[in-house]
Amino acid sequence: MRVKAKLYPKEAARLLQEKPSVRASVTGATLHFERNRLRAYGEIDAEAWRERARRIKDHVLTHLDHYLELAEKRLRENGVQVHWAEGPEEAHRLLREVVARHGVKRAVKAKSMLTEELGVNPLLESLGVEVYETDLGEYLIQLLGEPPSHIVGPAIHLSLPEIQRLFHDRFGTPLDAAPEALAQVARGVLREAFLTAELGISGANFLVAETGTLAVMENEGNIRLSTSLPRVHVAFVGIEKLLPRFQDLALFLPLTARAATGQRLATFVSLIQGSAQPGEEGPEEVHVVLVDHGRTALLADPEAWEVLRCVRCGACLNACPVYRQTGGHPYGYVYSGPIGAVLDPGLLGLEEAHPLPHASTLCGACQEACPVKIPIPKLLLAWRHRAVEQGLAPTWEKGAMRAFAQVMGSPALYRLFSKALRGLPLPQALQDHLPLLRAWTEGRGPLKPSPRPFHELWREIKEETHGG
Amino acid sequence: MEVRARILARIRKALKERPKALLPEHPHLRLGEEPLDLFLRRLAENGAEGHLLNQEGAVGLLKELAHGLPGVAYGKGVPTSFRLFPELPPEAAPLGVSWALFAVAETCTLALSSEDGRKAQLLPPTHLVLVERERVYSTLLEAFSEQKALPSALGLHSGPSKSADIGQVMVKGVHGPGRLVVAVLT
Amino acid sequence: MRVALFITCLADQFYAEAGVAAVRLLRALGVEVDFPEGQTCCGQPAFNAGHWGEARALARRTIDIFQDAEYVVLPSGSCTSMVKNHYPELLPGNREALALSGKTYELSQFLVQVLGVEKLGEGLKGRRVAYHHGCHALRELGVKEEPLLLLQNAGAELLPWEAAEECCGFGGLFSVKLPEVSLAMASRKVATLPQAEVLTSTDAGCLLHLAGRLGRLGRPLRVAPLATLLWEAYAGQS
Ligand code: SF4
Repeated sequence: MRVKAKLYPKEAARLLQEKPSVRASVTGATLHFERNRLRAYGEIDAEAWRERARRIKDHVLTHLDHYLELAEKRLRENGVQVHWAEGPEEAHRLLREVVARHGVKRAVKAKSMLTEELGVNPLLESLGVEVYETDLGEYLIQLLGEPPSHIVGPAIHLSLPEIQRLFHDRFGTPLDAAPEALAQVARGVLREAFLTAELGISGANFLVAETGTLAVMENEGNIRLSTSLPRVHVAFVGIEKLLPRFQDLALFLPLTARAATGQRLATFVSLIQGSAQPGEEGPEEVHVVLVDHGRTALLADPEAWEVLRCVRCGACLNACPVYRQTGGHPYGYVYSGPIGAVLDPGLLGLEEAHPLPHASTLCGACQEACPVKIPIPKLLLAWRHRAVEQGLAPTWEKGAMRAFAQVMGSPALYRLFSKALRGLPLPQALQDHLPLLRAWTEGRGPLKPSPRPFHELWREIKEETHGG
Repeated sequence: MEVRARILARIRKALKERPKALLPEHPHLRLGEEPLDLFLRRLAENGAEGHLLNQEGAVGLLKELAHGLPGVAYGKGVPTSFRLFPELPPEAAPLGVSWALFAVAETCTLALSSEDGRKAQLLPPTHLVLVERERVYSTLLEAFSEQKALPSALGLHSGPSKSADIGQVMVKGVHGPGRLVVAVLT
Repeated sequence: MRVALFITCLADQFYAEAGVAAVRLLRALGVEVDFPEGQTCCGQPAFNAGHWGEARALARRTIDIFQDAEYVVLPSGSCTSMVKNHYPELLPGNREALALSGKTYELSQFLVQVLGVEKLGEGLKGRRVAYHHGCHALRELGVKEEPLLLLQNAGAELLPWEAAEECCGFGGLFSVKLPEVSLAMASRKVATLPQAEVLTSTDAGCLLHLAGRLGRLGRPLRVAPLATLLWEAYAGQS
């Protein structure tokens, strides 16, 4: 995927200006998700569940080498072929080999953010394979040639009329076709693909080390189909997706569902132990690719390693009032919203992603939503600080901060500033930063200071007695 | 092997100084309601249909569902007493009948084993699942703790296939069955 | 009991009346109030933008200025959280930072938790009030019930507001770094705002931003800091 995280501020502004319908769609959808999550959390002892989930993930991450080796062993015992990948290179090599050996002409894909990271679709297409995204939302954006705008609802930025128009142009359905009718059309196309594809590709929500179980959650049935009908199933799994025990799924599956959509469990969960037994329906060959792609670097980070707890539920996106205004596209990478803002700098480097940690007012709503208690605001601050240390802050900001610290560091200057604000000619330092002032006044009108600042009023009320 | 060794070495290096976190145990959840009642209630909440039936009643339900259909796709584990209609391949069958390994009240879930098949659980638009009353667990934890051997794939189904990806409107039966009917057998 | 008032720079400049109200209210409740003269800004803008060197310098001087205070009270949720939660993070191992953290309170928090006051008077009888939960007051300090209790007990009618707990989009430097997003967030607050006579909050920044947006969108509405309304609750005038 092309990384455009650096352009975040411009892209966010442009989107708000040019496509106001996105704000309406995303706000509506995320508020809906958020209400459902709150209801679903309210039904359980959410604090206890989240705390336990956090501790289990921390345990896995601090014993990651052990659990990876155990998982690999169990997977092999289950007849699964295990591969390791640093990133796209190894992933592509494996896919090339599978496509050649099985004469793959068609592949069905179940939504997976990791395959976005690895550029799986472009690779397969370059090999002449027809790739079908089978999650309905993912299928819509594939038709439009857009990246996903939300981890769980990749097409939440699209309004019904836009989708009706898309289907009208593609399949000749009437412009006012009901969602049910559109879904039936997509079902028809994709059903054919399921029945004829040689290759099924998925991600995984969890990989259980104890049993070598891949756990994949969904609501449509497309993942069950993608991992059941084609002859070959390839699952791409980030190395942070491990859980120690099969039992742990009894916490993580429902907790993730509650956080993501407010459901008690995803409508379908596939728990995959391996290829089909003789005489059974199912894939003859199952491959699991354990992917690093920046994760070990994050693990080594003394602060940011906590983001590896993430279960990609999207709850932080739904809770985020900044994300709600634009959806995920302006963030310019696979992961958007609060998790993107703390994960992407780790995966891409700050050089590429330094504007993203600023895509937040530090309101803290994300942290309250997160099922694994990732301290997102704390990490946003840490990334911002590192960007400054690395000299990545814009020049105007450095200047402004220096001036600000100077003024605030001296009561005399502060008083002068206070006077300036009330009409004396503006000092040069302030004038240099007039664009900032304009950025404020454009949408909010001129700044109106109190007629006199409190520190002057104090002198008058200082001696006042009880009751004024 | 080289990539594997590199990744593991980086992990070990990263973790060298990091304090190890302990693995907590899972407390068992109490639901405060009869598992069976809860199971049926939550199925209804999830847009599925649940019935508590004896053998005769369940056969009656199947007859009702299969009425006028050319045939049915059966899971391998479905007892012969239910195989009353011509068997069709799942690709062509309007109704699939499965035999569940177990069910879970907490999440109104049916666990379907690959040993029973897969296509009959997924391809027909209507899915009838049979499960024995004694196989209804109260919580996921209880159910998962008691599974000794796992099949190559275990599908957990907790309602009809659905999606809200088109303009946030909930649509049923997107890829999997749009209608889920459950008979708990006494 | 003696309290040092930390007015904080935004309130000093833009909501000076909040300071006057806070002083009068505290005195009326029998508390002596000091105003250490050297005070300026807590350093939050620099801290939030990642400029921790600048933030540290301002934290240190603030710690010095309030070192001898028995209690420090601020009419601002986010600055309170800066002092209470972030000074100790910014200056790890600094005992004075911890000591200051322990005695620092947002005004309504101080009234309810320290003074044990839940009713100030009935000066807000019948007033239709919309209360905006400043994010840091709400999520970093856990100040949620205190302001509501004080307003309600003074007779105010607190209007339900679907977006009351949503961020208004101010966010300090955020408001000028990402002005379009910031304004879109304010617009959502304004669009859902109930028919109130007055909009209030603990935080001057939020109020400045919301007042500006209300004006721009042509919705004239009185915007007043919580301290001002609490004084009115006590003194009974508007
Ligand atoms: S950071 Fe937390 S809330 Fe956000 S996607 Fe990850 S697990 Fe979910």
